[in-house]
Amino acid sequence: MEGFIIALFVCMVLALISKYLSIPAIPFYILAGVILGKAGLGVVHSDEISRFFSEMGLLFLLFFMGLELKLERIIANPSKVLKGGFIGLTIDMGIGFIAAYLLGFSLMESFIVGAAFYITSTAIVITSLIENRKLMFKETETIIWVTIFEDIVLIVILALLSASDQNLLFFFAKIALALVFMYGISYYGKEFLVSILDRDDEIPILFTFAAVLTTASFALLLGIPETLMVIALGAALATTDPDAFEQHARPFKDVFLVMFFVFFGVTIDFSGGVDWFIISVICSLAIVSKLISGMLIGLTLHGSALSGLEIWSNTISRGEFSIALAVLYGSPVIATTIAALVIVTSIVGSFTAKYSTWLRRGIVSRSRKKALMHRPH
Amino acid sequence: MALRSLNLPGVGTKYEFETDKGDTVAIFFTKTGIIQLYTLQKGCKTPSAAEMSPVEARRLGNILTGAIIEADQESVEIAFSALADLRITIHTFFVTPAVVGKTIEELQIRAKTGTTVIAVCRHDRNIINPPPTFAFEKGDAALVIGESDQIKTFEREIMVN
Repeated sequence: MEGFIIALFVCMVLALISKYLSIPAIPFYILAGVILGKAGLGVVHSDEISRFFSEMGLLFLLFFMGLELKLERIIANPSKVLKGGFIGLTIDMGIGFIAAYLLGFSLMESFIVGAAFYITSTAIVITSLIENRKLMFKETETIIWVTIFEDIVLIVILALLSASDQNLLFFFAKIALALVFMYGISYYGKEFLVSILDRDDEIPILFTFAAVLTTASFALLLGIPETLMVIALGAALATTDPDAFEQHARPFKDVFLVMFFVFFGVTIDFSGGVDWFIISVICSLAIVSKLISGMLIGLTLHGSALSGLEIWSNTISRGEFSIALAVLYGSPVIATTIAALVIVTSIVGSFTAKYSTWLRRGIVSRSRKKALMHRPH
Repeated sequence: MALRSLNLPGVGTKYEFETDKGDTVAIFFTKTGIIQLYTLQKGCKTPSAAEMSPVEARRLGNILTGAIIEADQESVEIAFSALADLRITIHTFFVTPAVVGKTIEELQIRAKTGTTVIAVCRHDRNIINPPPTFAFEKGDAALVIGESDQIKTFEREIMVN
C-alpha cells in the first residue's frame, strides 16, 4: 500500500512537470514505474490493489474509446477513412510485423509487436493537435480519421486474439447476444438513461461506474473478453447521451489510467534480458514507418509531400493502446520492447508535433531559394 | 459565405466559413472546454490562432454582434435574420439612486420607454421576470430588453431622471 501512495505522489509531480513543459505525460508515468518497480529500485510492487486499479484503467480507457466510436460517421464518409486507414494499416503493421519476425520473435509475438507498433496514441495525438493549435490544418481531419480507423482495427485485433482458443461459432453467438442486449437497452431505455444522467446528485457517476463494472463481470461470466464488451458498451451508450457519459467516466479514466501506466512500468522485468539492439531497431523503424505511411497518405489524400510530413510529425506517438496490447497479450520481453517503443516515440513525437511548422517553413523557403537560384538571369 | 459545421470525434465541433474576400475563419469548440479561433488570410498557408475560455469567447461574440461593451455594463444584440432582420438588445444596468425604492409600475417603464425588465440580479441571486410591484434596491443590476433606441430612452428617462 505504501508503494502505491508513493507511485501516486510521484505521478502527480510528473503530471505537473509534463503539463508545464507541455509534453505528454504517458512516457513519464511508465518511466516512473520502471524506476520504482521490479527493474529499478524495487520500492513499488504490484499487488492485488494495484492490479485492480490497472484493470479499471484499461476498462475505462476502452469504454471511452467505445463512446467516441461513431460508426455512423464512418459509414457516412467511408472513402476518406478507408484510404488513409488502409495505407497506415498495411505499411505500419507490415513493417512492424516483418521487423519483429526477422528479429526473432515468434509469429504470434510478432503480430502483437506489429499491432502495438501500428496503433498511434489517440490521446497524445488529439491533445497535441489542440495544444499546438493545428485544428484548422487540412491534415488534421485526415489524422483524426486515421486514428479512428486504427481504433476499429484494434477492436478486430482484440477479437481475433481472444477468439483463437474458443469454439468460434459459439464465441461469436455469445458476443452477438451481448451486443443485441446492450443496444436493446440503449434503444428502448434511452429516456430512462437520459433522465438518470441529467440528475445533479451522485447517481449519474455511480451509474456510469456500475455499468462498466457490471458489463466487465458479466463478460467474464459468459467467457467473452471483457475488453470487447466494454468497448461495445461504450458504443451502445453513445447512442443515448455520449457527452454525459464522457463527463461522468472521465474522473475514473483519468485516475485509473495513470495507475495503469505506472504499474505497467512497475511490472517490467529486465530479468528476461534486454536486447538493446532489438529495442533500438524497433524504435527507429517506428518513426521511419510512420514517415513512409504519412507521406503516402499525404500524397494520395492531399496531393502534397508537405502534407505527408505534417501527418507524420503528428502521428509518431504510440501510447495507451500499444500498452494495452502489451498488458493483455505480451510476454516480459514484448512488454519491455513496447514500453521502450512508447517512451521513445511519444517523446520524439511531441517534439516533431511542436516544431513541424518550422520544418515545413524551412523546406519551403529552401526550395524557394533553389528556385530563385535556378532562375535564368 | 457558406458555414460548414463538423463534429470531429474526440476533438469537438468545428465551424468554418469563407468570407466574400476569400479569407477563412474557423472556430473549434473543444471537449476540454476551451475555444480556438483560427483565421487564414487568403493566399496564406499557415493560419493564426487564438485560444479563449468560454467567457472570453462570449465577450468576443458580443463585440462582433455590434454591441457596446463598457467596463461593467454590457449589452448583447441578437439579430434574427429570418424575421425581417429583427434586432433585439439586452442591456445590463446598475440601478441609480433615481430608481432606488421605486417599483417597476411606479416608474412606468413599459409605457415611457417600451422596454421590459426581464431580470434583476440582487446579491448574486437572480430574479427572473420581476412583477410590476417589484421595487429596486441599492446595488441591484437590472437586465433590460428592447430595441436599441428604446434602451437608449430607458437610460435617459429612467436611470438618470
